[in-house]
Amino acid sequence: MQDRPNASELLEALGEFMRDRSENARDRWERFQFIVAANSIGILKREFELEDEFMRAEWQGLDDLIGPEPIPDGQHRFAERLQERNNELVQAIKAGTFDDGPAEDRLVRHLYETVVNKVRIASPNEAPASAAQ
Amino acid sequence: MSAAASGATVPAVEEAVRRTFGAAAEASKPWKLAGGAVHDSWAVDATVNGASHELVVRVSPGGRSDHEKTIREFKVLQAMWDRGVLVPQPFVAEESEATGESYLVMARVSGESNPRKLTTDAGLGSARKNLVTELARQLAIIHTVMPGDVNAPGMRGPEPGEDPLAYQRRQVEADYHTFWLNPHPAVEWAFRWIDRKLERFNEPGRRACVIHGDLRVGNIMYDENGLTSILDWEGVHVGEPEEELAWFCTRVWRFARPDLEAGGVASREEWIQAYEQASERSIDRDRFAAWEVLQNIRWAEITMMQARAHLDGQNRSHELAAIGRRTAETELEILRLTGVVERVTNAG
Repeated sequence: MQDRPNASELLEALGEFMRDRSENARDRWERFQFIVAANSIGILKREFELEDEFMRAEWQGLDDLIGPEPIPDGQHRFAERLQERNNELVQAIKAGTFDDGPAEDRLVRHLYETVVNKVRIASPNEAPASAAQ
Repeated sequence: MSAAASGATVPAVEEAVRRTFGAAAEASKPWKLAGGAVHDSWAVDATVNGASHELVVRVSPGGRSDHEKTIREFKVLQAMWDRGVLVPQPFVAEESEATGESYLVMARVSGESNPRKLTTDAGLGSARKNLVTELARQLAIIHTVMPGDVNAPGMRGPEPGEDPLAYQRRQVEADYHTFWLNPHPAVEWAFRWIDRKLERFNEPGRRACVIHGDLRVGNIMYDENGLTSILDWEGVHVGEPEEELAWFCTRVWRFARPDLEAGGVASREEWIQAYEQASERSIDRDRFAAWEVLQNIRWAEITMMQARAHLDGQNRSHELAAIGRRTAETELEILRLTGVVERVTNAG
């Protein structure tokens, strides 16, 4: 195990540095570049803290829509297989599997939950106040 | 310094001034205006027989297939200027003999172009109100122009008899398959949602017209009284009014006022009604809804394209990379517009 500061704390420090630089920038261009960089650090920090849980929720949603499958060992293989399963979901959508009412209800709930989780990491100000439950 | 990168276009600017006003014209030292990703725009003052002309010369890099685009934009600007539309007066579009670059010479228009200020400044309340009415009036004129009226090269648009929405739906999906970086089930489902709408109101005989193609608050100029000019006609193509009105409403172009759907300056309904009044045409709200979803998919594609420009090494930039993560908020908007958010939230 690594010593403190942990990854999240290091990212926070980097984000503070970028924000400070944006406030003391030489011109508008540089100011904007540092704001964008600070925001990207924020994305990394939230992704580090939340993405594992969100990937598991997405996997489970796919289990319900295209059939259950155990999560593979190893983070890399997990991410790779999740992407493949999303391609399988796309094929099922195109084949009309979810065109009727109740099937579409299940699909759109999954789409909503996965998109909201992406937004919570990528642009939290745009995320709805609480998840639909 | 920027001089090395931009120096090559100064001869093109000077040549453009002489081409417009004759060999005796004197050009001031040009200065660069805040430019786009593809072109550089230069401000320059020309003096001819004691009279001064304030100009903008937009220079596109040589070695690209940009010349046809420049000519297209020039022809469209001419057609619009002739009809009294608020556009910069176009003078000349040529290829530089000295540098091979394409240039377009226009009159320099006064006004402000900062869209964020337009949507937030407390002193611009009446400018916003006038702008909505005036822009609707301008669009009503623009949309009377038929493709045959402008004689511009490379105007893309629906096949003869094809519904403009069906055409653009086709284009947007083709672009999606070019630019996507990872699967987007929400986008794929939204295409299907649009197709179901199209099945109901596909109108093969629907009239198509010339549209600006990239009308948003960032592509206009204004002052404290309202609209002064409609700029950046690079996206001009053949389409339909609903397409134009819906692009103005895409969430990304509302800046500080996401609650005001029409460019952060008016509600969606106020915007549509202003257009209906100015054009004496009625806008089918259901069709408009399908366009708004399609136009947000188009914006989602642009975020993918920009991230791809970075990832492919074409233009390494942390800013372009970060835009790739804005696809998600656009997908959320697509789910809002297709009623999914309401459907899921109410289902409990």
